[in-house]
Amino acid sequence: MDALANNFQVLFQGLALGSIYALVALGFVLIIRATNVVNFAQGDFAMLGAYIMVAFLINAGLPYWLSFALAIVCMGVFGLLFNYGVYYPLRHRGFLPVIISTLGASIFLQNSVLALFGAQPKRLDNVVAGGLQIGAVFLDSQYLVILAVTMVMVAFQYFFFEHTMLGKKLQATSQDKDMARLLGIPVALMIAITFIYSSALGGLAGVLVGPVLFVSIGMGSIIALKAFAATIIGGFGDVKGAIVGGLFIGVIESFAAFYISVPYKDAYAFLMLFLVLVFRPQGFFGEKVSEKA
Amino acid sequence: MRVSILGAIATGALASLLAFGAAAESIRIGLVSEITGPNAEAGRYTINGARLAVEQINKKGGILGKQVELVIEDNQSTNPGTVLAFSKLGGNSDIPAMIGPIRSTQVQAASPAIQKAGIPVMIGGTDPSLTHVNNPWVFRCRPNDSFSSRVIADFGVKKLKLKKWAIVHSTDAFGSGGQKALTDALKALGVEPVLVQGYTNNSQDFTPVVLAIKKSGADVIGTYMTNSQDLGIFAKQLRQLGVTATWVGSPSIVTDTAMKLAGEALHGTYGIADFNPDANAAAKAYAAAYRAKYDNAEPDVYSSWAFDAMNVIAYAINAAKSTKPDDIRKAILGLKNWKGVEGNYNFDANGDGLRGYNIVKNEGGKIKYVEHISFDK
Repeated sequence: MDALANNFQVLFQGLALGSIYALVALGFVLIIRATNVVNFAQGDFAMLGAYIMVAFLINAGLPYWLSFALAIVCMGVFGLLFNYGVYYPLRHRGFLPVIISTLGASIFLQNSVLALFGAQPKRLDNVVAGGLQIGAVFLDSQYLVILAVTMVMVAFQYFFFEHTMLGKKLQATSQDKDMARLLGIPVALMIAITFIYSSALGGLAGVLVGPVLFVSIGMGSIIALKAFAATIIGGFGDVKGAIVGGLFIGVIESFAAFYISVPYKDAYAFLMLFLVLVFRPQGFFGEKVSEKA
Repeated sequence: MRVSILGAIATGALASLLAFGAAAESIRIGLVSEITGPNAEAGRYTINGARLAVEQINKKGGILGKQVELVIEDNQSTNPGTVLAFSKLGGNSDIPAMIGPIRSTQVQAASPAIQKAGIPVMIGGTDPSLTHVNNPWVFRCRPNDSFSSRVIADFGVKKLKLKKWAIVHSTDAFGSGGQKALTDALKALGVEPVLVQGYTNNSQDFTPVVLAIKKSGADVIGTYMTNSQDLGIFAKQLRQLGVTATWVGSPSIVTDTAMKLAGEALHGTYGIADFNPDANAAAKAYAAAYRAKYDNAEPDVYSSWAFDAMNVIAYAINAAKSTKPDDIRKAILGLKNWKGVEGNYNFDANGDGLRGYNIVKNEGGKIKYVEHISFDK
C-alpha cells in the first residue's frame, strides 16, 4: 500500500516535470521546423518570462492575471525582437551562424537579467495555494496547473496547426519555404510569427514553473538541456515527439532517482538519449534521414 | 606620453610624501575587500564593520596613542584582484597588519602574497586548510568548517536527544566535505546515521530524497545544502509529503534568501550561525552601535567578523606595545578568552581564533538565538 502511494507520488512528479520539459521542447520544435536551427536561447525565454512576471506581480504589485497576461504579451513582443535581432540578419548564412547567434543571445539575456534583478533567486507563489492530499500522496496545486495547462496547450496547438488557415500557412512554410513563397505565403512573416509564438510559449513555461523551481538566472538552462534531449528522443522537429519525449524523460528520471540513485538523476535523461540515438536514431516519431533526402 | 609619465612620477612622489606625512601621526591598517564585482554588497558590510571598530578605537584613544586609519583596497571580488591588492598594501612598510577577504578561494590565492608581506593578516574564509599551509601570518576570525558539523551533531544528539539521523547533502566539495565531517562527528557520539543521501546542485525535484527520509524513519535531518533554491524546493516538498522530523542545517538554512524562498516550510528549523546579535554582551552592544551608525541596518556575519578582526589587531598592538610584525603575532597568539562579538577568541598555533557556533531557530520567519556551542579546551 505504502509502496503504491510512493510509486504514484514519483509518477506524478515525473509527469509534472516532464510537461515542463515538453512545453519548452515544443518551442524548440516549432523553431526547428520553421528555420532548421536549434534556438539555444529557448530556455532563457522561460527564465525571462518568469522574471517579467516577478517584475509585474511583485515589483509593480499588479494583480496576478493581469501580470500573467502582460508577461505573455511581453514575451510575444520579445519573440518578434528576437526574430529581427538574432535570426533575420543571418537567415541566408546557413545554420551555424544562427546557432552561434542564439547562443550569444542566451549569454546576453542571462547577464542582462543578472544586472537588472541581481543574483538572488526570487519567489513566486502558486496560482492556487496548497494542493490535493489523497492518502499518503500529495499533489501540489502548481504541478496540477502545469499538467492542465500543458494538455490545453497541446490541444490548442493541434487545433491551430490543423484547422486554421494561419496554422496551415505556418506548416507549409516549415515544410518547403520556396513552395510556400510560390503559393503567395509571406514566409518572413510566418517565421516571425513562429518566433513570437515560441517565445510566448517559453515565457508561459517559465511563469508556470517559477513557483516550484523558484525564479533564478540559471532556471532556463537546466530545463532547456532536458527539453533538448526530449526533442531528440521524440524525433527531431516532431511536435508529438516533443511532448512524448518530454514526459518520457520526466518519468524515467523520476523513477530512476527513486529506485536507483538520486545523485545520478541528470544522467538518466542522457543515458536515454544515448540509447535512443543508438537504437532508433530518428527518435520515436522522426522520419529516417534517408527518406527525407 | 612624456607628460603623463612625468605626471605619474609627480603623483607618486606626492602620494608617498602624503603617506609619510600621515604615518607620522596615525596607524594605518590595510583592508582588502570586495568593493566592486558580484560580491560588492558583502564587501560593503565588511567595510562598515571595520569602520565602526576604527571609530570606537579612535574614541578610546587609538592604538599606541595614535589615531587609526583604514587603507581600503578593492579586490574586484576576484582572486587575481586579491593577490594584486595584497601585493600593493604589503609593499607599504607603515602598515603593520591587515584585514583580508571572507572568501576562502581568495585567501588561498593570496596566501603567498601574505607570506611575502610578512605581517599579520586577519581572514574570514572558513576552509579549514587555509590556516594549515605553514603560513604564520594568517589568523582566522571565524570558526572553520570542521566545527560546524561537530556543533550540529552535538546539538542534535545531546540537547535535542535525537538519535535517528538522516544526512542530506549536495555532492559538491562543500556538501560532501560537510557530510563526511557530520558522519564522523555523529559516530564520535555513538550514532550511526540511518540515511546518507546526496543530490546534485540544481535538482528540480526532491521527491525521491523525501521518500527515502520517510522510509528511513529518521527523527532528525542534518543538511549541507549549497544553493538556496535547492534548499527551498527540498523544504517545501519535505513538509508537503508530511515529514515532521526536526531539521538542523548548515548556515545556508538561515540565510535571508533561503528564508524568503522557502517561507513557512522552514519555520521551526534549526541552523548554525557564527554571528547572532543576541549571542553575548559584546554582540548586543555591537548590534546596537551598528544599527545606530548605519540607519537601522541589521548587522550580519560580513560586518561582524571584520569588527572583531579590527579589534583583535588593535588589542594585540597595544598589548605588544610595538608595531613589529613578530611582536604583534606573539600578542595575537597570547590572547586568552578575548571577548569578541562572534565569541571568545583563543588563537591556536595555526591561527584559528574560534571553535564554536551559535545555534539559532527559525521561529515564524524570525531568527531566534538558542545557544552557543564551543569546543574550546
